[in-house]
Amino acid sequence: MSPLFLTWANSLAKPLARWWQGILARTLLAVIGIVMLLGGVSSIWVSQSVGEREYRQAVQGLGELLDTVESTASIACFASDEQLAAEVAQGLMRNRDVRRVVIRAGERELVSVARGAVATVLPRKLGADDTAVRKVERTLVSPFNRGEIVGEIALDADWLAIDARVRQSARYTVMLLVGQLALVVVALAASMLYLVVRPIKATSDRLHQLDPSSGMQLSVPEGHDNSEIGRLVDDINDLTGRLVATLDQERSLREQQAIAQRKYQDLFDHAASGIFVADRTGRLVSFNRAFAALTWMPKRDQTAGRSLAEIGWQESGHVLVLLLASLDQTAGHLPSEGDFLLKGRRGDERWLHVAVIPVGDGSVQGTVTDVTQRKYEELSARRLAVTDSLTGFANRTGLQHLLAELKPHDAPFALAMMDLDGFKQINDALGFPIGDQMLLAVAARIRELMAESDEVARIGGDEFAWVLAGETERERVGERIAYLLAAMSRPFNLGTPDNPVEISISGSVGVAFFPADGIDLHRLLRSAELALNNMRAGGGRGFRYFDPALQAAVEHRRRLEDDLRQALAGGQLHLVFQPIIDIAAGRLAGAEALLRWEHPVRGMVSPETFIPLAEELGLIGEIGAMVLDEACRQVAVWRRDGLDMYVSVNVSVRQIPDALPPHAIHDALMRHGLPPAAVALEITEGVLMADVAVAQAWIGSLRTAGLRIYLDDFGTGYSSLSYLKRFPMDTVKIDKSFIRDMGADNSDRALVEAIVTMANSLGLNVVAEGIEDAQQLAILHKMGCGYGQGYYFSRPVKGEEFLAAVARIDAQFDQA
Amino acid sequence: MKGMRKMLLYACLMAWSAFASADLVLVANPKAGIDRLTQSDVVNIYLGRYRHLASGLTAEPIDIEGEADLKARFYRRLVGKSLAEINAYWARLVFSGKTQPPLAVVNTEEALQRVASRIGALAYLERGKVDRRVAIVFDLGE
Repeated sequence: MSPLFLTWANSLAKPLARWWQGILARTLLAVIGIVMLLGGVSSIWVSQSVGEREYRQAVQGLGELLDTVESTASIACFASDEQLAAEVAQGLMRNRDVRRVVIRAGERELVSVARGAVATVLPRKLGADDTAVRKVERTLVSPFNRGEIVGEIALDADWLAIDARVRQSARYTVMLLVGQLALVVVALAASMLYLVVRPIKATSDRLHQLDPSSGMQLSVPEGHDNSEIGRLVDDINDLTGRLVATLDQERSLREQQAIAQRKYQDLFDHAASGIFVADRTGRLVSFNRAFAALTWMPKRDQTAGRSLAEIGWQESGHVLVLLLASLDQTAGHLPSEGDFLLKGRRGDERWLHVAVIPVGDGSVQGTVTDVTQRKYEELSARRLAVTDSLTGFANRTGLQHLLAELKPHDAPFALAMMDLDGFKQINDALGFPIGDQMLLAVAARIRELMAESDEVARIGGDEFAWVLAGETERERVGERIAYLLAAMSRPFNLGTPDNPVEISISGSVGVAFFPADGIDLHRLLRSAELALNNMRAGGGRGFRYFDPALQAAVEHRRRLEDDLRQALAGGQLHLVFQPIIDIAAGRLAGAEALLRWEHPVRGMVSPETFIPLAEELGLIGEIGAMVLDEACRQVAVWRRDGLDMYVSVNVSVRQIPDALPPHAIHDALMRHGLPPAAVALEITEGVLMADVAVAQAWIGSLRTAGLRIYLDDFGTGYSSLSYLKRFPMDTVKIDKSFIRDMGADNSDRALVEAIVTMANSLGLNVVAEGIEDAQQLAILHKMGCGYGQGYYFSRPVKGEEFLAAVARIDAQFDQA
Repeated sequence: MKGMRKMLLYACLMAWSAFASADLVLVANPKAGIDRLTQSDVVNIYLGRYRHLASGLTAEPIDIEGEADLKARFYRRLVGKSLAEINAYWARLVFSGKTQPPLAVVNTEEALQRVASRIGALAYLERGKVDRRVAIVFDLGE
């Protein structure tokens, strides 16, 4: 075993420095261990059992020995023959296992032979139970009578001799066993070496020199094509193949990645936008050239590790807040962004737009772009939004911004609102360029009067609001406004040098004081406007302070508005009718429908008060429709009652054309079954002046339909004859102011006569309004005035009283 | 089968009665002073255990060698052993020289003479051959 061990140990010594860790060594150690253990145990067992068997055989042998001499011994005893007994004993003593022989015949000892000393030690293998075999004895019976005992023979075994033999036998057996086991171990080691270790080592050696990337493969050791080693080699080849393939893939991926990385690096390096990556404290991890350039980062500082906060932001804290805000986003990765002002070392500045987005590891990636241009544009746009582009003053929005947050304890000031009288006409007549020149010139004159802390805003086409800072005294304000008005009243030289225009204009001013007349801009402006309107309503030029009474008037009007709406809904409005008389025929021709408002509290409200109100509120359309319908209904009733008459309805300028379109009138006629000639529409000169083309179309369409058009209040306005020519009228109504004074005033009388004559010559009918006595009637009759109405005949009466009034008129004429 | 067994039994019985007609007896000198010997006495004396009679006389047993199966019958009757066995027995004792087998004579007559002549002599013979000179001391029967 030893040379073989050395052989394989040497063969493995170099590659397997620690050979004792090899499979063979381990297996052998294990096998030897197992063999030694089993061998030891089985040796002990074998030697024991062999010994025991030997002992038993020895004892049995002694028994058999006795059997062979038993008959002779019994004869010797029978015959008491010492000679024969001695022969038997000598024969027995020839057996080496026998130490002593005693033959007795009854009490008499025939023979006793012994060898050596008497053994005192019992053989180990025999226990107490075996004392029977310790001394082999036989009772001897008579050869001729089995029932008669003639003596006995006793043998003492020589246990020392037996023991020695037994030991030798056991030793031999154990030696045999050990030899067999050793042979097995050797055979096993050899098989292991040749069948397992050697192929593995060969494979291992080849594996050491193997370069899988070059496509090399392990070869299967000879004769191991189908063994576990062969399969292992196949598996290794398979594995290396896969590994090589994976490595190839990995390598190509890395190459692609490197290319992509290079591309992105190029993008990063050459991007026009600044790009950076920073951690949550704002420390820059990396950034590109554009970033350094945009943030004016000095060359020497262009190292990673600088903080974003160290850049010259005006508000560096805000940048860090933005950073944290983007990191705190829990949902989604929305970029957080903001514009930040960067202050240069030389006082220059730059707006940078910074957008950051978390990249997931607690740091952010940001882009920086220069938005200075846009920022300035935004600022200028914002400025434009609050500036009047023409004059450079603030506009209404600007003024609101200026005085947005007034508080009652702010410094007091006066607000003057100026409006240029007749500016609209100038604009209309001379065109916008002149109008704009005018406004510029006005602005220039205002500027001259402005104090340092004053503000002026152009809040409407020709409306200026002037904040007289710190002014609380009426007199002082009055003086300054007087200067202003004086400045406005100086003639303006406008137009081009080729075409100079000199314009005189005047301004009206309303003044309100902060905080007395309003604690915010809205109320202050309203107060000033009220004062202004109040002054203009008075017709005078100049200025007026806001008066709380004005406010009351306004309140009154507002209440009236409410009431009017209610009246319309609640049927407080009703019509009265004033008969129109055919003077020549002395009979009823028609009636003028007049609107009345019987207020439950205030009583009768004059149409002069509520009609303009209704016009302003946009209720005039509704009211007009109601009037028309009611008038038609009423006249239809009367016509059915046999009166040959028409009804005339006043139409406001605001009703034309949309609030009272021709088809609505047509519908009303149809509804009540009236011919067109049964309704006349009274318009004023204002209608004609408002929009000529629209008025012409409206009138034309109604005339075509067969309705009559009356021109009301003739004589009070421009009373242009050209209107009469341009608009196809039926009738003119001479205003009652002329008729009233006709008796006393010759000039009025001549005027009325001229109108009548002219109308007649134009083929127009004439209605004289406000006839109050018989004298007037006579004069008009004489002039050839066709129709008349007035208190002389009847005051306006309710529908149900109308027939009575007509009867009275008839009676009047009958008397005359 | 049963019948055959019965027949065999009959055959045996008939053979036995043929022998019975020739009973063996042991005779001694009438002067020997012994009336009767037990079988055990006969065995001990004939097979050499001891050679004296109850009266103190030395016993001299005699074997008859010349008469067909007489000796064999005697030993067969006495200890149930064949002559070969008896001879083997004596072969072992004779060798030591201490004990001698019985005195051998040729025939019954010679045995009778010897018994008659010697006071301690003993011999076996068929019952029919017994005469006045001897006295029967043990009947071997059948």
